[in-house]
Amino acid sequence: MTLLHFELLGAALFCLGLYGALARRSAVLVLMSIELMLNGVNVLLVAFAAYGVRDNATGLVIAIFVITIAAAEVALAMAIVLRLFRSRGSVNVDEIDALRG
Amino acid sequence: MEWAWLIPVFGFAAFGVIALGGNALPWRGRYLSILAIGAGFALFWFVLLDFIERGGGFHRFGVDWFETGGVTVAWGIIIDPLTVTMLALVTFVALAVQVYSLGYMAGDKRIGWYYAVHSLFAAAMLTLVLADNLLLLYFAWELVGLCSYLLIGFWHERRSAAEAAKKAFVTTRIGDVGLLIGIILLVVHTGTFDITEILARATNPAPGEELSNALITGTALLLFLGAMGKSAQFPLHVWLPDAMEGPSPVSALIHAATMVAAGVFLVARMLPLFEASGAALEVVAVVGLVTGLVGATLALTSTDLKRILAYSTMSHLGFMMLALGAGGFTAAIFHLVAHGLAKAMLFLGAGSVMHALDNETDIRKMGGLRRVMPMTALTFTIGAAALAGIPPLSAFWSKDEMLLAVHGGLHPIYLVLFLAAIGLSALYMARAVRLAFYGPLNDAARRAHESPRVMTLPMLLLASLTLVVGFLALPLGAGYEGIGTFLLQAGEKPHPFTLNAWLTAASVVLAVGAFAGGWRLYDKRADVVASARARFAALHRALERGYYLDAGYQWVIDKVVMRAGSAVALFDRRVVNDGGVNGPGEGTVFAGRQLRRHVTGLFADYGAAMALGVLGIGIFLWARSA
Amino acid sequence: MALAAFYVLALVTLGGAIGVVTVRNIIHAALFLLVTLGGVAGFFALLYAEFLALAQVLIYSGAVVIVILFALMLTRRGEVELMDEHRRWPVAAAVSFGLFAVMAAAFIADAARYQADVRSSVSLDALGAVLFERWAAPFEIASLVLLVALIGAIVIARSGGRDEG
Repeated sequence: MTLLHFELLGAALFCLGLYGALARRSAVLVLMSIELMLNGVNVLLVAFAAYGVRDNATGLVIAIFVITIAAAEVALAMAIVLRLFRSRGSVNVDEIDALRG
Repeated sequence: MEWAWLIPVFGFAAFGVIALGGNALPWRGRYLSILAIGAGFALFWFVLLDFIERGGGFHRFGVDWFETGGVTVAWGIIIDPLTVTMLALVTFVALAVQVYSLGYMAGDKRIGWYYAVHSLFAAAMLTLVLADNLLLLYFAWELVGLCSYLLIGFWHERRSAAEAAKKAFVTTRIGDVGLLIGIILLVVHTGTFDITEILARATNPAPGEELSNALITGTALLLFLGAMGKSAQFPLHVWLPDAMEGPSPVSALIHAATMVAAGVFLVARMLPLFEASGAALEVVAVVGLVTGLVGATLALTSTDLKRILAYSTMSHLGFMMLALGAGGFTAAIFHLVAHGLAKAMLFLGAGSVMHALDNETDIRKMGGLRRVMPMTALTFTIGAAALAGIPPLSAFWSKDEMLLAVHGGLHPIYLVLFLAAIGLSALYMARAVRLAFYGPLNDAARRAHESPRVMTLPMLLLASLTLVVGFLALPLGAGYEGIGTFLLQAGEKPHPFTLNAWLTAASVVLAVGAFAGGWRLYDKRADVVASARARFAALHRALERGYYLDAGYQWVIDKVVMRAGSAVALFDRRVVNDGGVNGPGEGTVFAGRQLRRHVTGLFADYGAAMALGVLGIGIFLWARSA
Repeated sequence: MALAAFYVLALVTLGGAIGVVTVRNIIHAALFLLVTLGGVAGFFALLYAEFLALAQVLIYSGAVVIVILFALMLTRRGEVELMDEHRRWPVAAAVSFGLFAVMAAAFIADAARYQADVRSSVSLDALGAVLFERWAAPFEIASLVLLVALIGAIVIARSGGRDEG
């Protein structure tokens, strides 16, 4: 069990999350996929910390910040989703195209 | 003398104040304008006295304006005999004309603007004669052109006036282009705008700095092209007769002091350049002679009082150019002054007649006017006699000087033709005076009346000057040894007053004879005139049409310029506009229409694009590190 | 033993992740997310980051998933919706796989430098000390961000039914 194992696992999680964020139509599912991406990054951070790529603390501290910000992000995102549902009756991201040129 | 630059500044300031203040000013600014030019005239006297005290010579004052690429441009003035003489002429005539205009233009609703432009006109001309570098000179030159445009077309409600203004502007513009090219060539090759330095380089260059003869001749001819336009030399004279559409005082100013004098002044100022060329001098002489003859013959048949005067101006300007071409600097400028004073007065007289006769200018409908307007008739007769060369009036003396110069500097054929032109000029002057002012009183002229004193006074002043100014040619004592010792180019040797008995006799006989003969001819022998007109009908028609020059120009404009213009316009519409201007615009719109399809507004598409970007950057970084 | 645990955990975690991004029932997807987050907590434990493993379970598996489930319930009309993929899912798949390939290639190329299986840990005391000394300012800012997010979420969710902005 080397660093490489965790690196590949983190990358896989991240890319699965990316796929979900791009391919899913429900805003809630997109949000879940983003959580997957954040988790993939967190795995990498903690792994780097444990294997001492830099020092043992930095990765951990940043991982804590990631979890913190993720919590804030979920709260805000869910508020937006609720609002969206109330005003449009749907949370499908492919129906939200107000920015179309 | 250091303060001479203030003379035009008064005028510019008056223009600014009147143009901005407009009708809000007391008396609509007219007295302000007169005050400004009067101050200029007063200051001229200080300059003159200072100049005499310093024993004449050549003085320069100025400050550097800016420096670019090794070329220094200065605001500078030259004070030399030429400038002082011109200052006298311009300030005095402008003053007289502005006072006259108080009466002539009274009641015009745009009199404020009239006086504003008048001030600017005089100021521009004064700047022109003071300028010590070609840039400032060109600047003033264009201002003079602009002002003449504005004043000729002052009554622009009249279509003919607007057309005449346009014609004057365009015709002189042809010459101005030549002047501009000439100036640019000179500056490029000498690296300076300074007139003194350029002339030094042309005439007396330091070793290794010689200008080629082709360059000197070429630039001299280009400068002369500008002078031809401004001074109405053949064949660019066509604007001058039409310029009569402006108010008469404007004609007086244009013909005497400002516009047309600019060309003669330019050639005089740059005369060393022409002399260094030789060939250019010859061209000046030929053009001057042709202009003199053409103008005189045209004046002979015209029936419009102001047109006769205009053609006479043209003819006399030709004489000046001829004299300059002969190297007669003094004679030409002397004649410029003598003619300017007389011609200003003649135009003021013509204006006075028009004022009395509801703008009538046809001399066939006048006649006997001296009975109703004695003052105008008197001054007009004096002016006409002076220009005809009757001794001892002003133009007799200057004409004598010019004859001497032509005799000394050119082939005898010039002299003969010049004498013929002098005879013609006496003839047409006699005709104009006789038909307009003498003989039985024409019925149409019965209700005419003498003009108010504010108009006759300037005329009288000019007339008395015309009587005496010629004597400046003579040594008057008190250190003054005649015009030939005062009015000199820098470095020219003084030539005291001389008379060539034969030449003087010939000119006197010709002038008096032609004047008297003409008088008699139009007084008693109208039948001779009629039969001559019938015998030379073709010639007469040609003269009435101004040698068909206008028709010829019109043909060129219609057939060549307009067609070339349409072709260019077509090219502009099809290639430049459609292809060059609309093309990129339509291309952008098209590209935008295509591109906007990619702007879906969908989060997923943007995310995919972003991820692609990250992928690209990742590949790039990894490939570089590997 | 540890390696076996890694593979089991990897199976659970990636399987859950694939479930999240593929199943059509949203509720199922949320439950799969719960599985994945738990697996990640296990990895944290394997990496001797006990505090983070704990935080992961508490915050993610607990709070975050609950919030998501709440949101799902509140945005539902009658039946549970079955979500199919966006029509451009092949593009998303290609991009994601490409990114994974690049990352994997980079990691593998770099693997020789970190061959040793020497994991070490930081004591909770030490972590706390670092967090409140060296990272004190970011920590405070993060707490400010949480506060703003809290207020913002309330404002956004509360304001009237129509989109009056």
